[in-house]
Amino acid sequence: MKTERDPATGDARSDHDLVYAARDGDTVAFDALFYRYRDGIFRLGLAITKDPSSAEEIVLDTFARAHRALARLEPDDSLRPWLYRVAVNLSYNRRPRKNVVLSSLDEAADVAMANEDGSPSHVAEKAELRRLVLGAVEELGPKHRLVVVLHYLNGLNLTEIAEVVDCPVGTVKSRLHYALRRLRTHLAAHPELGIEPPRSLLATGFRAPKPITAPLPLEDK
Amino acid sequence: MRLFSRGCESRQAAYLAGADRLGARERLALEVHAGSCTECADALRNGRPVDTALRGAFASLRERRTIVAPGRVRLAVGSVVARPNPWERAPRVFGRLAEVSVMVGVTLLAVGTSFEPPSAPSSSLPVTQTMAQERSRGQAPLDEIDYLRWVRLVKSNDTPTVSTATRLLMGAFDSDPVEIQKTPSPRF
Ligand SMILES: [Zn+2]
Repeated sequence: MKTERDPATGDARSDHDLVYAARDGDTVAFDALFYRYRDGIFRLGLAITKDPSSAEEIVLDTFARAHRALARLEPDDSLRPWLYRVAVNLSYNRRPRKNVVLSSLDEAADVAMANEDGSPSHVAEKAELRRLVLGAVEELGPKHRLVVVLHYLNGLNLTEIAEVVDCPVGTVKSRLHYALRRLRTHLAAHPELGIEPPRSLLATGFRAPKPITAPLPLEDK
Repeated sequence: MRLFSRGCESRQAAYLAGADRLGARERLALEVHAGSCTECADALRNGRPVDTALRGAFASLRERRTIVAPGRVRLAVGSVVARPNPWERAPRVFGRLAEVSVMVGVTLLAVGTSFEPPSAPSSSLPVTQTMAQERSRGQAPLDEIDYLRWVRLVKSNDTPTVSTATRLLMGAFDSDPVEIQKTPSPRF
């Protein structure tokens, strides 16, 4: 149960209390829930669809469903995994809009990085590392990528992820383990990250790709 | 093709040590195990920088925000009453306007009527006017009855009746009597 104070509304009521109030027609309570989860669902939708407009529609659709489900929603259930599960389903079932060039995870992050402080070389270095890591995440299969996104982007713990993807916690652990090992293999090619390739791969003659010595311009992707 | 071979059962826990936020006791047990298991020692050593790299890479994405407002959700679910077309409302508005106009007219008529000066009885008004005019001129009326009235009026100079009548005719009651003005108002 989440009780953090929402910066937009200043509402410190728990999800449980807000759901109860919203069920009784309290629109302020519903709005407080909306502001509490709006950005998280937007980011999740953006990470899956790579399209900001689609991500906004996913936010609206998710809360429209929540609004309709209020009467049968059990306030003792955890709202957060419920909302994310709806958002994941909507995101994967969404057809790409026509004439929309989908961006990458990294391009989505670029927008947020535009106002980052620091020297140009420092900013470029961070952008390059981010490009490497998010590029590796995108090469994962959908199931493994989703677990990584839910944990590292949305901050869900493994139990919550299990509720979102509707599988046992053991399966989530297994998927995350696989994803982390795969990412390690990809990222080991870049010594600046200080990651060694898995020993099992070294034994089979794994050779790390030539590391990137200078940050690439972002447009060259 | 299998990319990874099955290894030590604790290797998964070692990789997830960062992500799963192991408790102190579990973490200690894992580190003790890693002292004698190269596979888990490797997983612990390299799992941490992968975890750190992922947290750093997603940090900028966590800054992404949207400005979508909850009102759009309520519109979507139809709980907000749609605003009717103003042209559809026009007949109702004009009808209401006509009602209000009639009410205002009736009210003004009623109020205006109530402020008209009280009309004196038709029989006494000319007499009073005549007597007052004659008195003001200082002449006695020729008619006997009027003369008697005139004498009584002249003798009782300060009687309220005459005074009132005179003042009424001279418009002295345009302002409120002094006694009323002296009365303190409970509102102040
Ligand atoms: Zn081991």
